[in-house]
Amino acid sequence: MAASEPEEVSTQDPGAYVAQVMAEIEEEVRLRRASGDLPPKLERELDELFLAHSPVAGRGGDLTEALRMVDAATFIDPVVPVDSQRAAGAFVKKGMRSLLLWYLGWITHQISQFASAVSRALHIVDGRLKDLERKVEVQRVPHAGVVEFPVAHDPAAWWVTPAIGALTEVRGRILHAASGDGWLVRQINQAGGDAYGVDPRPDVVERGLLGISDLRGEDLADHLRATSSAGLGGIVLSGMVDGMGSGQREQLFNLIATRLAPGGTLVIHSVTLPTWEAPDAPYETDLSPGRPLRAETWRHVLKQSGYEATVQSGPDGADYLVTAVRATMSPPEPTLTQ
Amino acid sequence: MSAAAGPYGAPVAVHQFIPTLNPHDATGTHTLLLRDILRQAGWRSEIFAEAIHDDLAAEAFKHWMYPDHATDGDVAIYQFSTSSAVAGYLLERDLPLILDYHNFTGPQHFAGWESLTEERATRAGVELALLAPRAQLGLADSGFNERELQRAGCRRTAVIPVLVDYGRVSALPDPRVAAALAALKAQGGTDILFVGRIVPSKAQHELVKALWAYRRLYDPLARLHLVGGTSSFDYLRSLRRFVHDLGLSSAVCITGEVSDPALAAYFSAADVYLSLSVHEGFGVPLVEAMAAGVPVIARGVGAVAETVGDGALVLASADPSYVAAAVQRVCADEELRRRLTSAGMRRMVAFSPDAISDRVVAAVASVAAP
Repeated sequence: MAASEPEEVSTQDPGAYVAQVMAEIEEEVRLRRASGDLPPKLERELDELFLAHSPVAGRGGDLTEALRMVDAATFIDPVVPVDSQRAAGAFVKKGMRSLLLWYLGWITHQISQFASAVSRALHIVDGRLKDLERKVEVQRVPHAGVVEFPVAHDPAAWWVTPAIGALTEVRGRILHAASGDGWLVRQINQAGGDAYGVDPRPDVVERGLLGISDLRGEDLADHLRATSSAGLGGIVLSGMVDGMGSGQREQLFNLIATRLAPGGTLVIHSVTLPTWEAPDAPYETDLSPGRPLRAETWRHVLKQSGYEATVQSGPDGADYLVTAVRATMSPPEPTLTQ
Repeated sequence: MSAAAGPYGAPVAVHQFIPTLNPHDATGTHTLLLRDILRQAGWRSEIFAEAIHDDLAAEAFKHWMYPDHATDGDVAIYQFSTSSAVAGYLLERDLPLILDYHNFTGPQHFAGWESLTEERATRAGVELALLAPRAQLGLADSGFNERELQRAGCRRTAVIPVLVDYGRVSALPDPRVAAALAALKAQGGTDILFVGRIVPSKAQHELVKALWAYRRLYDPLARLHLVGGTSSFDYLRSLRRFVHDLGLSSAVCITGEVSDPALAAYFSAADVYLSLSVHEGFGVPLVEAMAAGVPVIARGVGAVAETVGDGALVLASADPSYVAAAVQRVCADEELRRRLTSAGMRRMVAFSPDAISDRVVAAVASVAAP
């Protein structure tokens, strides 16, 4: 490769000089490849060679592939290599190998037998797991996504003002899920609260980030698991719980019970069953595993969990708002005299 | 600048919290230098860590010992570089917080290699999301890191480069290591250097591929020195096997962690510093190489281009033939070497603690004031 003429380049501005050097490097590579000095096939083979040494999980974490490698490694060779860089090294190593071969052979035979037995057991486990996976797949209950009704999930909706009113006395951060583009987070913050949003739809969150920085594109349950105990002053759920199956709903409320601070406020907005089943409801309603609870059911469930809950119905009966304050101390244990 | 007074008139204390205080890593060095700068500015300042290297046992306290030192008006600086119990400890306290963000290697870079490290990286992401909105100020080593902080919800941010201890590279080279490297050099061949932990995100296997291509195309005697410890033993094992299969065992030297004088010896023997990392939040060894007068070639990922400025050749890919051609050009072109090393020296001055300390003090004072 020819270096550039120093006299020619020394007066160039640094950016232009580097650009010229990079262009010359690229041209050099092109010429080398064209001449067959380093065919692309060889470079691919380098990649494959390294991949062959990567751990199994690096290629997808497949158990069958892992077992194939376990099988390959099951045999332990008692005949140790004797190459040496020192003059008499190979001779010494060869002598030691001859002396120890009977001993190493006996040990490695037992280890190989043990490894084969483990490998056989793992193959059985692999087969049974595959069987189970096939059976579970058809019984799997899908996780509910966000179901938004355009009229209800809007800054002008009737329930927004009472919801924000219920959160004015809250101490600590307020979480809104599903926050969408942050429309309610913005309103709570304007009212003096310290709110942030979580929504499992990354595209929706991305849009919202243009106007508000504290939106997280993640699953609500995952987010709550990572939140410190009693770390939230308020939680607002809208478009989240209506379509949840009973297992997913219970899991969420167990998490909320540990993450909401004593005295904290839980606000739930939900649509009623007729709204959910109306012909013009979003198509996600059909695909969700669950159906909305009645307002009175929420009040009952929350009371049992130690919340003081109130319910407000919307003006046309299409939806309702549940506001629940978590008890500042654990509810009293039931006694025989009650 | 003198320290701000606390609510009762006494000087406010600005304490630092860090996951692990280690003498040989960038964050540990930064923390120790920052502690000295804070003290010189008049603040009381201690370091609290989840883990402390034996050599630094006298320099820091365990993080749970903080209440013994706490006073009203304390400000905490958290050196964020990985997941740690310290993050949860700070979240539970109502201290004014400055988040000094050094970035962390995302879980995707460990996927399939080290499940524990992958999990830890995932937790680091969650901790960042929880700490960033709480911080009164976020300090970032680079604009790249600043954007991550802002995405995590940090409302007020500033870019202040990491404090680098150039004493590591300007130390008197270890005579034993220097002699061994000189003996190798006497046999001929280019010495290529990379300094950094042996982990998948530093992509040492790409360096080995580049060496293989470089030896085949330009210099059959070239050597590669990989300096640094590892936290990824699967990756190290794979790397060693890869080197062996390519017949490069005598050309690739994997040193493990080395002392500062030994590091200085490696820098002074290097013909070129080559980095093909897939993720860098700043890249302290790049600056150290520039300080040592070694021409730098680096893949332009993360904050690399920002860190090196015009002091390095920044590559768009790690394609072995492309990297090999770049190494050859730097080694053969005196004018290019001269330009890169002098630009590198100017860059190094911009990152010196003297050039940065006033900015750090002003940023901290904006939070540590009554």
